[in-house]
Amino acid sequence: MSDINKQRRQFLKLATAISVAVASLSPMQVIAGKITEDNKMDATEHAVFTKMLTISLPTEGSPLIPPASLPVIPTIEGALLAGMPPHIRQGLNQGIHYFNQGPLKKYGKSFNELPDEQATAFVDEWTNSDKAPHRALAMGLKKLTVLAYWAIPDTWTPLGYVGPVSEKWKLKYRGVTPEPKA
Amino acid sequence: MMSNKNQLNVKTSEDMTATELNIEADVVIIGSGAGGGISAYELAKAGKKVIVLEAGPYVPSEKFTEMMAVSMATMYEGEGAQSNTDGDITVLQGRCVGGSTVVNAALCFRTPDYYLNKWGKEFGLTNLTPEVMLPYFEKVEKNLGITEVKPHETSSGAETIKKGLRALDIPLGLARRNIRDCAMTGFCFAGCKTDRKQSMMVTYLPWACNHGAEIYADTQVTKIIADNGTAKGVNAEVIDPKTGVTKTSLSVKAPIVVLAAGPTGSPLLLQQSGLANSSGQVGKNFACHPSLSITAIYEKKLNDFHGATHSLFDDRHTLPENGGWIQLNAVQDPVEASFMAEPGTGKPYVRYMQNYPNSTRLITLIHDKNVGEVTMENGYKEIRYQVDDKDFEAMKKGLKENARILFASGAKYLYLPTYDTQRINSVDEIDSVIDALENESARYRYTSFHPQGTCRMGADKSKTVVNPYGETHDIKNLYVVDASLLPTSIGYNPSETVYALASYIADHINEANPG
Repeated sequence: MSDINKQRRQFLKLATAISVAVASLSPMQVIAGKITEDNKMDATEHAVFTKMLTISLPTEGSPLIPPASLPVIPTIEGALLAGMPPHIRQGLNQGIHYFNQGPLKKYGKSFNELPDEQATAFVDEWTNSDKAPHRALAMGLKKLTVLAYWAIPDTWTPLGYVGPVSEKWKLKYRGVTPEPKA
Repeated sequence: MMSNKNQLNVKTSEDMTATELNIEADVVIIGSGAGGGISAYELAKAGKKVIVLEAGPYVPSEKFTEMMAVSMATMYEGEGAQSNTDGDITVLQGRCVGGSTVVNAALCFRTPDYYLNKWGKEFGLTNLTPEVMLPYFEKVEKNLGITEVKPHETSSGAETIKKGLRALDIPLGLARRNIRDCAMTGFCFAGCKTDRKQSMMVTYLPWACNHGAEIYADTQVTKIIADNGTAKGVNAEVIDPKTGVTKTSLSVKAPIVVLAAGPTGSPLLLQQSGLANSSGQVGKNFACHPSLSITAIYEKKLNDFHGATHSLFDDRHTLPENGGWIQLNAVQDPVEASFMAEPGTGKPYVRYMQNYPNSTRLITLIHDKNVGEVTMENGYKEIRYQVDDKDFEAMKKGLKENARILFASGAKYLYLPTYDTQRINSVDEIDSVIDALENESARYRYTSFHPQGTCRMGADKSKTVVNPYGETHDIKNLYVVDASLLPTSIGYNPSETVYALASYIADHINEANPG
């Protein structure tokens, strides 16, 4: 396999890791994994997610809960990153660093250093890139970030969504269905 | 709230004290989902000692959280993160006692005669005629309470979409589901907390236990054992899910092995065991019914949060010669809605989520070609599958029809499930926006609920893995009873097909192994 193909596959793999693993995000503490030196966020990852959160959910002027008031970044770290298989966690780390360097050529700054407006434009450019790994990374990281926000039940209240209902509605358990008679 | 503990004779890793355990039985079943559950009951009822080994955990229904994120992490394969190699199709499967039947939408369709006849002609499955299969469909429908939705079993989104279907003179397809007394929480995909969905966990598995079947959860089969071309049993490990540490090495000696580990698990186990692959077809011919959801935004709030998860469909185009797609409504929680569309980063996204109460979705699911493959590479499962170009064109036609229905139902505008922003503002824009879509990886937010086809059933042992009665061509008394059997994609939810085929194969096993 050529280096380019290897690199492409590597980025696809880590994009995969980002875009599909987010589905398993849970409200913090529910399935939180153990954060260790090997899987905790490094400074760049923390900065990338913080910037992504800021630009993805500018809630000023809306009834939505400001993301800064919620433990979104700890949710990403504790509920997703800490539970990742080591090889995927390592690939994700590389992908986030690659993504952070993405704007250097056009904007002269890394993603986490961009003003919000340019960071927003960069994310929209990459989600519509002609390069599949760029699309996968931009969409995956954004999805990961907003999912971590919406996985926190407090965020549902402004939408009128009440979450789990069986206990609220006092539903009775139906239990095991009797075995059919011969 | 009243609580009925599930009456399952189930052991988990917490119950295991010995480092080694050897069991003898008449039948060992690998997997406890649709195929495994039905096999367990039908074989145990016939007097056989049955052991069921389930790789996933046992999660009693009273512990279901009604939160999708948590359910995915605890009851889905790969913690809900299973995908194709490119990462753009999430492939959802249950991984718990009861398997996918615990977390599916409970939507049931009989296998269309079209496919039974096609399988007869093209795969030599002349035994599976519509006449032969009819009593099996009737039996599982009775046992699982499969009935058409009652008028109140709907959702605000479904009622809205009905207006669109009626405006376009499209017949209403009313869902048939294996649910009794639906409470309309809308949490089918998170597990039915109050046991209304007739999953294996509240039907066939406890019934099997009434006849002495034993279930081991947290138990990963590592190898199927065969000798002189005949199945002899399995080796397995009971693994503590919290630590990943093997607590018990388990071996089950049994003259009949029934493989029901699902369309990704079953072929991998055969490959790992070096069995049943003289055709070279194990793991090949993977299909998955890729689906895309269009999100519609309305002037008024729908609050389509709860209700029947699915209640409505349009299947006028589902057979391949009619197009090859089906439309299905579905309620969705905000966590799902948060990534179903791409309105643009920042303020557009905030407005989109503010409009979540004003939204609903309509799913387009396609009949697809069996172009994928499941393999183990460097110790990790790979699902090599990309949407075929012709299938993508069918998807586009389905999306156009989907969009027309949504606009006819009163939608103001629509979002396509793309990575970049694709918004359709009027009926006039539908064709131009959708015609411009190209079949590329990492462009669309696909979900697959129906993996299938990796251990094809057929008469020709050089082209298929399993014979017309579910037994592998190569290994006597090694049976496969899950959706990996399906010779072709069937375009409809395959659960009832699996229920019926598993029942049929169980009868064959009992006839071939009396006493």
